Amino acid sequence: MSEAKSVVRENALEGVRVIDFSWIVAGPQCTRILADFGADVIKIENYSNMDYIRASGGADSPNRSPLFNTLNRNKRSLTLNVMHPRGMELLKTLIKKSDVIVENFSSRVLEKWGLGYEEQKKLNPGIIYCSMSGFGHSGRDRDFVTWGPTAQALSGLTYMSGLPGEESAGWGFSYMDHTGGFYGTIAIMMALLHRNKTGEGQHLDLSQVEAGIGLTGTSVLDYTVNNRPFRRDGMPPGNRAPEREIAPHNSYPCRGEDRWCVIAVTNDDEWDSLVNILGNPAWANDERFATMASRFANQNDLDEFISQWTINLTPLEVFDVLQNAGVPAGAVQTPMERAEIDLQLKHRGFIAEVEHAELGNTKVESIPMKMSETPWKLNKASPLLGEHSAEIYMDLLGVSAEELGTLFEEGIA
Amino acid sequence: MTLPSTKTDGALKGITVIELCGARGHFMGKLMGDMGARVIKIEPMGGSSERQIGPFMNDEPHPDRSLFFWSHNTSKESLEINIEDSEGQKVIKALAAAADVVLEDFAPGYLPSLGLSYKDLSANNERLVMTSLTAFGQDGPYRDYKSPDIVALAMGGIMHSCGYDDVPGSPPIRPSGDHGNKIASHYGLIGTLAALFNRDFSGKGQYIDASAHEACNSTTEHALPSYLYLGATVFRQTGRHHSATPTPKSLCKTSDGKYLIVFQLFNNLHSWLLLVGWMAEAGMAEDLQEERYKDMARGGSRGMRMATDTTDSDHALEVVRRFIAAHTAEEIYRGAQNLKFPWGQVRSPEENLEDPHFAEDRQMFTDIPHPELGKSVSFKYVGRPYRFTKSPWNAFRAPLVGEHTMSILSKDLGYSSDDLEVLISKNTISCH
Repeated sequence: MSEAKSVVRENALEGVRVIDFSWIVAGPQCTRILADFGADVIKIENYSNMDYIRASGGADSPNRSPLFNTLNRNKRSLTLNVMHPRGMELLKTLIKKSDVIVENFSSRVLEKWGLGYEEQKKLNPGIIYCSMSGFGHSGRDRDFVTWGPTAQALSGLTYMSGLPGEESAGWGFSYMDHTGGFYGTIAIMMALLHRNKTGEGQHLDLSQVEAGIGLTGTSVLDYTVNNRPFRRDGMPPGNRAPEREIAPHNSYPCRGEDRWCVIAVTNDDEWDSLVNILGNPAWANDERFATMASRFANQNDLDEFISQWTINLTPLEVFDVLQNAGVPAGAVQTPMERAEIDLQLKHRGFIAEVEHAELGNTKVESIPMKMSETPWKLNKASPLLGEHSAEIYMDLLGVSAEELGTLFEEGIA
Repeated sequence: MTLPSTKTDGALKGITVIELCGARGHFMGKLMGDMGARVIKIEPMGGSSERQIGPFMNDEPHPDRSLFFWSHNTSKESLEINIEDSEGQKVIKALAAAADVVLEDFAPGYLPSLGLSYKDLSANNERLVMTSLTAFGQDGPYRDYKSPDIVALAMGGIMHSCGYDDVPGSPPIRPSGDHGNKIASHYGLIGTLAALFNRDFSGKGQYIDASAHEACNSTTEHALPSYLYLGATVFRQTGRHHSATPTPKSLCKTSDGKYLIVFQLFNNLHSWLLLVGWMAEAGMAEDLQEERYKDMARGGSRGMRMATDTTDSDHALEVVRRFIAAHTAEEIYRGAQNLKFPWGQVRSPEENLEDPHFAEDRQMFTDIPHPELGKSVSFKYVGRPYRFTKSPWNAFRAPLVGEHTMSILSKDLGYSSDDLEVLISKNTISCH
């Protein structure tokens, strides 16, 4: 640990300092969680080379991007130009005072800077270096590049999402940026535990595609054990659950334009409750629907009957009436419903508010858990570009006020 | 009493986990076991219900042959016990008293009703970390509602972003693969690890209340920020990002009937010239070498989005689609990546077994022995999701139902054979 250890701790990752070279979504998702748990995350950019996501959302300032704000809260921003020798020297000083380095550049960037893991280790033997590239730091395709959608496509996740006979629906966002970020966080925390025990640091070589492949275990086993490829007629399964052989399990149209709910009946008790809520219609007594197996076999007809009921209700009405009767059901919630209506998210304080110097009062998603001893804290909004440069240079790196002026003038800071 | 670790060198070596999880949380235990933790899975009599989920080896349903169960439960031991029985509860308490972590995903209130709340379990073990991973959380108006995977993905806003914009009447889509449960498990594990790290300094464990609902709601990229900051509602589009304004289609069909994700076409002039040069070599650039397309590419992707007249860009995309349609997916994927375009082939999961980078160079798939099926039987599994240079990933096959019941009770908890006979006669455990 770089800071003095304290027994009374307010934050789970108190005392951990993270140098954050990560950009866009995957890396910032990883370091956001570390920052939410109280790590001192120092995000390094400079004026000519800043996180692209600062420009998202049509923002006309590098500090007004909605997605940037939600991904980078609780972090500090340092402007530093590593291409300048003095900048590199200061970075090396920072490495000596840090615990973790995170980057999601393509796979040779830090080596080109002369800052591969072996060099980092010379500066700080306990350093944990987490590289989050598309294909990993070894292998014939290590120079290939990914964005979230690329990793989803290659790993199989895109193909697994859709209606049979149609093109892939895929994922409507960079799921593997979020999840690649989770694996970065998981790996770093496991490596911190390893270091607590042994004093050893290490290089964590993450690949966004491999993290995606890791989520396809059952389908790969079906191929290696049963020789059955996922690419076959009838797949992907839409919103049905052929692997569980349960029905009804699907999406159903609701009142309103393009509004939908889902219902998933997993046992006979839930089926009886569903039939009861539907008012015991005559069709429900048909022998086609007498058992789970027969309901599964006749689910086209079953889904048609259920749709005739759901179409008269809103998705949240279906959710409410069925869940109160013990039947698993949900609304396909819109962003508005999640932000404004969802009673549970309100109760749990999921949307948190924080003051941002340019955006005013902003809302961000909370970390999705409550911890009894070290709950997360929303200490600050995303940093303005260079907001913490002066304090980091002077308080942490020992730069004099005089030199600080020079660093800014010469474009080093 | 101590619970010895069965493995030697993973990052979580020395950590003992008691797992009381079904489909929502079992991935947490797997990820910990694969990194060296000793994971004792508590299963009800007859085995966990996930053992009934297919596909099955040779399509023969059997609790020890579910591939779904295998893939989510590697590196665990199985203790089959009735925890609704007071003797069973004693066993759980004794295990928890010597454990580092309890993971559970029951409905809120169920374990406390058995005298197995965090307070009960940590009474003799203040270092215990306990993570409850529920559908909606331990409190609040939805706390008792049920949330199988599809409900978590619907309520979490993920389905709202996934589906089609060119298949009339089609619903939002749940990406298959239990991802609502996996997102929940990833966050449950993250909280657990943070608590373990904190414990190394504070000496105290803690209780973590995590929910699939909040986990999914925090995993939808632009959807919430767009609404919260701009008042804009994203909508779903076929095979590409949600957006509040329509974006060009990115799925392109190849000559072998597969697809590629193609994007960032007009990102900058340099990459545009590389693309057109590649197409020209194949004699398929058509009119794309004309000056006006260069002007378009100079504007970058931002300029494209602002343009009101998209005739040229639509035409350019059509020409690119014709070029792609004349080649195989593998040809376009490798050709594009060699030019540094982040294009990806839409693969089916098993197709990565044939990819030399992942299968050979990176050893992403691993043979795991199944001695219960024959001396030399092993199957190829998806391997490590991260590469640690000092603390290796290492998995062994999922346990058979109750495989370790006797050894845990006798070796770890010191039950005599007479004690075990009594438990068997009371149906608290069963004898395999």
